[in-house]
Amino acid sequence: MITKDKIDEYIDKIPPTPKALKDTLSLLNDGQLIKASKIAQTDLALSKYLKNLVNKPIYGFSHEVKDISQIFGILGVSGSQQTVYNYMTTLLSPAKWLLFGLNTKSFHELQARLSKRWELILKHLDIEDKNLISSITILPASIIVSEALFSQKVEDVKLLRSTKNLDYNTILTRLCGMGLFDICEQITIKWEMPKEIGELIQASSGLKPSCDEQINLLAKWMHLLLFYELSQPIFVEAGLNDFVDFQVDFVSDIYDDFAKLMEIG
Amino acid sequence: MRAVVKNGVGVFTPQGFLDGNSSSSFLSIDDIEATAALEVDMILVSLKRVIFFNKNGLDIFMKLFSKVRQKNHATVGFCDYDEKKYRAINVFYQDKMYFSLYKTIEIAYLFSSSFQNQNKNVLLYSEDRSQRSAMAIELHDNGHNPIIAQTSQEFKEKSSNKDAYDAIADLTYLGQMGQKIATRVTGNAIIYSISSYLDAEISNKFNIQYHNNSLNVGFRLFVFDAYKVISMNVHALNFFSKLASSAAEYNASICFVGMDFEKTTETFKDTLEDAGILFYEQMDDILKNKELLQELGASSAANTKIKRVINKQTVTELPRFIDATVVTIEMMTNSKAIKQSAEVQAITIKDKTDKIASSIGYYGDLDGMVILVFPKGIAKKACELLIGENTDDVELILDTLAELVNIVGGKIKTLLSDQNISVDITLPRTYNDVDSLLEVIQDRKGVQVELSFNDDKFLFFLTR
Repeated sequence: MITKDKIDEYIDKIPPTPKALKDTLSLLNDGQLIKASKIAQTDLALSKYLKNLVNKPIYGFSHEVKDISQIFGILGVSGSQQTVYNYMTTLLSPAKWLLFGLNTKSFHELQARLSKRWELILKHLDIEDKNLISSITILPASIIVSEALFSQKVEDVKLLRSTKNLDYNTILTRLCGMGLFDICEQITIKWEMPKEIGELIQASSGLKPSCDEQINLLAKWMHLLLFYELSQPIFVEAGLNDFVDFQVDFVSDIYDDFAKLMEIG
Repeated sequence: MRAVVKNGVGVFTPQGFLDGNSSSSFLSIDDIEATAALEVDMILVSLKRVIFFNKNGLDIFMKLFSKVRQKNHATVGFCDYDEKKYRAINVFYQDKMYFSLYKTIEIAYLFSSSFQNQNKNVLLYSEDRSQRSAMAIELHDNGHNPIIAQTSQEFKEKSSNKDAYDAIADLTYLGQMGQKIATRVTGNAIIYSISSYLDAEISNKFNIQYHNNSLNVGFRLFVFDAYKVISMNVHALNFFSKLASSAAEYNASICFVGMDFEKTTETFKDTLEDAGILFYEQMDDILKNKELLQELGASSAANTKIKRVINKQTVTELPRFIDATVVTIEMMTNSKAIKQSAEVQAITIKDKTDKIASSIGYYGDLDGMVILVFPKGIAKKACELLIGENTDDVELILDTLAELVNIVGGKIKTLLSDQNISVDITLPRTYNDVDSLLEVIQDRKGVQVELSFNDDKFLFFLTR
């Protein structure tokens, strides 16, 4: 169905970080928000994405924010970096979704929800590391990878999954020895993202816990956040709820804290 | 969301958070009806991967359950939960629990009337005495050996010796059970348990698809355990008369055991006897009488006088049957499956050692049966994607082989429908040795194809 060669081919085809984005990220890394916003403006697609994203209700602005330098100013260094990484992830997304019932708008909605709630979690945990704030942006790449690899096999996958409750990550791992989260880690390497982002994404599968205590703790929050969002009607209806297995035991020790933070009653 | 159907149980597995807002997205009436249309005995929602639920969330499932129960008579409820979730559901619904709760899906299978793995020793306990009895009766009707713990202390003591039981059923609650007729297989006879008042509802409660499947795969003796029947009306009489007529086409026997005609007119008995149904007082009158068993057709699972041959249409569509198998094996193993030879002949298996098999029937515009025979080790490799672990557990391998042949059947259905040929597939059947397979197909002719993947050979046989 899917072979290791196909996965390698997919990883090979992932484009490197475009120059404008690389420069923007580099300037953000140096804390130069204004310069970064000027570079970002030169990429029209990025500018459009930034405007769409930050004007979503979850960002909570009462007036439409249009100016890129204003957006960067509001988001700050870490928020801007996170948003640029979110944009990079969208570069991988398909023009038309076949496996999942998503479209550009709903995918951006998922990115926005994950990003804002992740910020809330890190604030709760007193973590200000901008790389860790950005790490959430790679999580939706697992959905894009599933779509890319399985969309040509929709009927086979349906038949298989009507017989056995197998998620895409398990199917891929059993067939190729490489799962969705391994591929996401490869993407972070290709995009020269900080190492801890790859480690955190890998651990957030709930299947390969990290030796680093902090990464492991964050992985639990990330895993639970993902399923909190994938339980929302829009994403359940898109067929995302069971695209990977939810590891209930993995997150059980942080659940009460999470429920309190998200005001789940 | 789609259900996974196995052993007559359709299971939905939502993940994450179930509340009044999300539950209706997880399950729609269409999802439930599509599952019910597969003639399942039970429709369950697994709570294994649910971390949060509230009453509003479950209420939405309740409404759907209620609709499906009224229409399809299937048992409905939840499974795969821990004690905390079990207690929460009890608090939510208290005395209004018409649905069932099964601690695990494996326990639910024991209560499914289509579960073929009978004779399990099941330790059971419930705080509610009437529940203990109800569970014991259901398990017994399904061909298991229930062992009831009368107190929690007794349960604690007995359950500490896990090896003494095949299953331990606690934190389980039987709500309104599905009214599907329990089915069990004893040797080469199929026993259906019927009870109470038999009326027009019998045609809804009886799994005719399963029955036809059994006829197709060679069963010839069907016994209705009717000890608990109070009476029957003319609609039930007509149903059994029709069933007897269709059984006659296959040279099969239908017997009633323990039927008391105190509240049913004796003329019904005459009518049923005229239709070919036989009456016995005790089950052992049949099952312990070898000569009678032979006479009734249960000495062999395929004592058929009508041998049907492979017809032209089947031969024309043969490439699609082989394609379905090849594509499935390729999908499951990521390796190229190769057709090596094809012959029209009676099935020939030179070396019977360590081989297992699985079959699936299809019926509709075309009818017949596909059989796959594998060396045990090769079956394991073919099923690696489904098994996911290294195992020598033959029951698990057979179970998975049934899943594989079910996928082949699904693929056959799709490929034939592309040619405007409409077929339905039966439930898969497995054979843990070649002799039990040969007992079913005997000397029927068919198309035998040697196939291989990664140089591992297996056999495909298509017959009618």
